[in-house]
Amino acid sequence: MVRKRRTEILINGSKEIAGRLAEEIAGKYEVAAIEEPGNGLVMVKVRETAKRSLFYLGEVFISECKVMINRCVGVGMVKGHEPELAYHLAVVDAAYNADLAETKAWTEVLLLEEERIGRQREALKSKILKTKVNFETMDA
Amino acid sequence: MGYVAVKGGTLAIEESIKRLKYERLKKGTVLECARIEGGMRALIDQVMSEGSLYSETLAAIAIKQAEGSPEEAVFLLKAYRSTLPRKHYSCTVESTDMFVERRISASFKNIPGGQILGAAHDYTLRLIDFALQDETDEGAVRWLNRFESEKSGIDVQGADLDNLPKVLDVLRNEGLLLPCGDNDREPDDVTKESVQFPTSRSQRLQILTGGQTGAVTSLGYAALRSFGALHPTVGELRVGNLPIYVGSLLGEGQAEEDYYYIGDIKVTEAETIFPVTVQKENGRKEIEFGIGYGMCYGQNETKAIAMSILDRCLESGDAGYPVYDEEFVLLHINSVESTGFISHLKLPHYVTFRSELDSVRKTRKGKGTVGEDEGERP
Repeated sequence: MVRKRRTEILINGSKEIAGRLAEEIAGKYEVAAIEEPGNGLVMVKVRETAKRSLFYLGEVFISECKVMINRCVGVGMVKGHEPELAYHLAVVDAAYNADLAETKAWTEVLLLEEERIGRQREALKSKILKTKVNFETMDA
Repeated sequence: MGYVAVKGGTLAIEESIKRLKYERLKKGTVLECARIEGGMRALIDQVMSEGSLYSETLAAIAIKQAEGSPEEAVFLLKAYRSTLPRKHYSCTVESTDMFVERRISASFKNIPGGQILGAAHDYTLRLIDFALQDETDEGAVRWLNRFESEKSGIDVQGADLDNLPKVLDVLRNEGLLLPCGDNDREPDDVTKESVQFPTSRSQRLQILTGGQTGAVTSLGYAALRSFGALHPTVGELRVGNLPIYVGSLLGEGQAEEDYYYIGDIKVTEAETIFPVTVQKENGRKEIEFGIGYGMCYGQNETKAIAMSILDRCLESGDAGYPVYDEEFVLLHINSVESTGFISHLKLPHYVTFRSELDSVRKTRKGKGTVGEDEGERP
């Protein structure tokens, strides 16, 4: 599974999944810490819609971690102070980058979680759409 | 007159800081940060927006420490931000990717995707709800459970809240707005280089979005009421979550599939429409539409709309009013700068004031000045 999709699932889904996958790898392989989990900033670049130009909206507080497995680097980063999740994301990233056999079995787990997130999102949409205005034309 | 170095006051300052803590705690109750985060959403959004730093948790701690003073909380947030490394720049965020929770237009009744009111104070009676005095955690949980279990009965098919079309595209499709392609020039960054005038558009928008809410609103109101007498129409106001991605750091290229997702941020976006009279080559006057743009962290609707008004004023830069003057607007809306400069007046000005005092006494010499010996002598 590509990184964009799997990081969306691991961050929006249950944190337990990232923890479980990372523990599976840490129990079998040597995980070397390149950069311990720490805090930093990501500057957000936005395209405004009046002239379609770019500007900086501000920064987002993040946690980031870097690890190495089988000489392959993995990066974990997430909004907020989440050092444990950043570490787990880094291990999962390194496992994919090192093409470890375990990652093949993860697809099913991730897809199931993606479905669960999707259902939650649909329920949220449904709630929000209750506030959609239904205009009725009044008789003169 | 020479300067005289003095010292003292250390103990008084230590006691003053202790006294400040006493004022925060004197009722014997402690406000938990999680409760601030849960119940002070608007204040957190304001502090994050003026602090140009997105973190509800940090904003909640700052608000607690500042006893609810937004200017002090923003100061704390900005000071902490300056200690952190900027690790990355995000991939370009497009507001069409927003998961919309609220979206209204004052320009068109029927807009693609519909008018979605979401959560807003606009439709409430502004009467104090005294029942809130007796609100409990248990009651809140019961209310939440009831709310969650309410059947919506809404078919979400075809209402794609994370891909709603923009209202302005209606005008663009009719040729009433000039078509405009993407301008990919890298933005300037006011946190890296000091501002020189005239500014670039990216500098103006970065300063406006981090501006003090009250200042941005007041200047926007001034432009609206009489100093320029603009009357824009809100083309679209959106509140929702934007996904943030960072490009790959591992030298794999910048394919979208290799992006790192780091989470969502809640923002407000305002697009306001201004009628503009333009003279064509044949001398004929035509009315076209100009757009003002505003976006800020959190749900800050008044600020986002006011920002869009000021954006439009500064883009046109004429009319002879202060709100069209970028130096006037941009140098006076920063919370830390404006409150800091006003606050500096509380610092000792003994020498300066002594000099003024001497001048006043000289001008009054011989006129029977009262209290000459009562003046302060530091």
